[in-house]
Amino acid sequence: MSGLRPVVDGTGGSALCRSAPVFELRGVTVVRGTHRALDEVDLVVGPGERVALLGPSGAGKSTLLALLSGATDPDTGAVLLFGEDLARLAHRRRRELTARVGALTQDLDLVEHVRVLHNVAAGRLGRIGLGPALLRLLTARADDEVREVLARVDLPWALHARTQHLSGGERQRVAVARLLLQRAEAVLADEPASSLDPTTARDVLELLRGSATTGTTVVSLHQPSAARHTFTRVVGLRRGRVALDLPPGRLTDDLLDDLYARA
Amino acid sequence: MTGLLDAPRLSPAAGRHVRLGVTRAAVLRRRGTTVAVLAAVLVLAAWRAFGAPGGVINTGGAALLDDLLARALSPRLDAEFLLLVARATATTLAFAAVGAAGALLVGLLGGLALSDAAWSRRPPLPVRLVRTALRGVLVAARSVHELVWALLLVGVLGLDPLVAVLALVVPFGAQTAQVYAETFDGVRGGAHAALRRAGAPRTAAILYALVPGASPLLLSYAFYRFECSLRSTVLLGLVGVGGLGQELVVSLQSRNWEEVWTLVLALLVLSALVEAWSARVRREAGSLGDARPVVAAADAEGVGALAAGRADSAPPTRTWTRWSVLVGLPGLAVAWWWTGASLEGLTDSLTWQLTQELVADLLRPALPDGGGSVLLLAVLDTLAIAVLAMAVAVLLTVVLAPWAAAPTASAAGPRDRSGRTRDIVRAAPRAAARLVSRTVLLGLRSVPPTIWAILALFVFFPGVVPGAVALGLYAAGILGRLVAEAWESVDRRPRDALVRAGVAPWRAGLLAVVPPSVQQLTTYTMYRFEVCVRDTAVVGVVGAAGLGRLLGEGLAAFRYPVVATALLASFAVSVAVELTSRRVRRGLSGNLRPRARPFRRAPARTTRFSV
Ligand SMILES: Nc1ncnc2c1ncn2[C@@H]1O[C@H](COP(=O)(O)OP(=O)(O)O)[C@@H](O)[C@H]1O
Ligand SMILES: [Mg+2]
Repeated sequence: MSGLRPVVDGTGGSALCRSAPVFELRGVTVVRGTHRALDEVDLVVGPGERVALLGPSGAGKSTLLALLSGATDPDTGAVLLFGEDLARLAHRRRRELTARVGALTQDLDLVEHVRVLHNVAAGRLGRIGLGPALLRLLTARADDEVREVLARVDLPWALHARTQHLSGGERQRVAVARLLLQRAEAVLADEPASSLDPTTARDVLELLRGSATTGTTVVSLHQPSAARHTFTRVVGLRRGRVALDLPPGRLTDDLLDDLYARA
Repeated sequence: MTGLLDAPRLSPAAGRHVRLGVTRAAVLRRRGTTVAVLAAVLVLAAWRAFGAPGGVINTGGAALLDDLLARALSPRLDAEFLLLVARATATTLAFAAVGAAGALLVGLLGGLALSDAAWSRRPPLPVRLVRTALRGVLVAARSVHELVWALLLVGVLGLDPLVAVLALVVPFGAQTAQVYAETFDGVRGGAHAALRRAGAPRTAAILYALVPGASPLLLSYAFYRFECSLRSTVLLGLVGVGGLGQELVVSLQSRNWEEVWTLVLALLVLSALVEAWSARVRREAGSLGDARPVVAAADAEGVGALAAGRADSAPPTRTWTRWSVLVGLPGLAVAWWWTGASLEGLTDSLTWQLTQELVADLLRPALPDGGGSVLLLAVLDTLAIAVLAMAVAVLLTVVLAPWAAAPTASAAGPRDRSGRTRDIVRAAPRAAARLVSRTVLLGLRSVPPTIWAILALFVFFPGVVPGAVALGLYAAGILGRLVAEAWESVDRRPRDALVRAGVAPWRAGLLAVVPPSVQQLTTYTMYRFEVCVRDTAVVGVVGAAGLGRLLGEGLAAFRYPVVATALLASFAVSVAVELTSRRVRRGLSGNLRPRARPFRRAPARTTRFSV
């Protein structure tokens, strides 16, 4: 390992959370193949915090987000959502908790060849009964709720388009619309801005922030510059470890250079 | 694999390097082994086939074949007979449709139960146990050929239309369930899991994410099953299920050659129409969907079915699909009524009693007369039939398939208006060759192997040879079509690039088109070989040789303990062959990786895969 020591600043965020944290990782290790994608990571994210996750590619950002969304389980250590240890929960309770977290993965997890409205409406399947869900699927009827979120992501025209015909950026906004309809308390997003121009990226980040009812977001980013604006806290990962954890104001170019330096 | 355990631990990147870095010696060694094994297998098979005392060719029978061929141009076309043919055609179509629909239903339910994708977490222990049991039952059910199922069911239900329906639904349903389970698991992306995490209930998530994602492939496969079902219905004519198959057997046995030709023509037209319809729907399905095509080890043609729906240029429309569903659903009700099948026979107390007796008999297998050596020889004969049949099929494929494959768009150069007529004149012989070779292939696969076997037995004495010829002709029809379609999809851009770079076209073809084509042929041949082993039962029942003959004789004499032994032996043989073939295929694909998938959406993503 290089001489990089974690740069952790007490004011980074944990001071903010007096009520139960939204996310908490306790000594989490994830083994992928022969090496550790995450190595003894501790992290606490409180309500309302907006965390930018930085780090070179392969640092473990996606793995960390997958843990927080419940998509992956750690090999050792514990993942807590709203104060409850996921590994100790019954299946049903676990889903109740993960439903309160919205996740935007890198491949968006859209159903490709159904119409956009169905992908959007899928966001509230947890809230409506099977009968209405099936009926909507068959009749392709959109209601105001769906129209409204599509308008918010600026895709009102795409309501009845086939998802697979949309461009990358448009598909991403469909996924965000789905997220909006989920009414999650906290939102995770994996490199939502990586293929967008700076202005659009800013818009998407704002939307994501708005889609979490408590405003809690954890977003991995490729461009550190964006981290300085919309976020209250910056967490840097390097080789599966937390290498820095600061308010964005304290992020210097030197620190960034260290974070992204070749081994 | 095991060797790797002792190897020093490498970083992932280094491991990749070692795996890809192959020495010339290794290549030569592998080629040598392949050739040696292939030669040995062929020699052994030929020895079983031609080593028998007393000769192979029945000179007395050739005259019959002569007769048959002489009447080719004078089919029986009077109104009375044509009406009979029309009714028989309708019956065949009805049984095929009902069989395919039943298989689809079984497949959907079984597929959902078996797929991991439908469960967001590891399912609880009781479910897992039931699933394992179900998987075993399905594997056993599909390893028994439709014809054998029909013969077993006739013993229980008597000559009831339901026999045919069940004989189709049971093995096809089992097969479909396996393929569907893999299809569900292959649905790309985490849409389903993501919805589950986001709080969607199980059924809703399946309906919103899993089913739409998989539906093009499910539909594709259902239509492919329909084609199979049609072929098998004709084949089941042998046991008295009505329709074209039965009429063919009757006419053949009474040497009414004129009628045979009329029936064959009807069969060709019916198969051509059904295949064209199916191809349309599958092509539409090919342009949609999220699922990766399933490479089900047990399902040679399934792979072809999925590969065949080509989506190069077709805009994603669903006209054919929509109409098929609109017409198909009421059509199924009519078909069910036309077959005259009813489920009453199932609840009959006699049925129940006979089933119990049958199962009791099957549960105490006994060796055939002559003991273990007869069984062993039958196993050898079965393998010999399958190997030689594949040799015949590959030979015919190599001769016919290049003509049957449509030239791809990129092969035709840029053309201007003035050159058009000349182009058409130049293309005419090619188009004619294509029509002829496609028709021949269609004929080969539309006439069931039982009929080919009856014909082959005119010319050869019972044994391995007629079985191999019959199965080989039939398999050639299917293999040829699969390979032709696969060849059409071979990427010609590397070749064109070479041509532009100044390489002579034929050399460029040799370098860039032939290797992938050979690869396709090999893979499909291996798949088809597995199916062929199972199909040997059919020619055996007609009297060729092998385990099928033991089966046929046992069933005819109601000696179910012997039947049970033969079934067990065939099961063991197919499993062994399947495992071997899987190994071989894995070995073959070792030096070939799938074509890189473009980052975002490519139009042909669902259906194209390179082997
Ligand atoms: N399924 C997997 N199999 C093997 N290695 C994996 C897998 N997923 C992730 N990894 C490895 O884990 C490390 C962290 O990956 P990831 O979290 O995707 O990084 P990031 O998102 O920061 O680029 C990488 O080295 C990656 O190669
Ligand atoms: Mg990543």
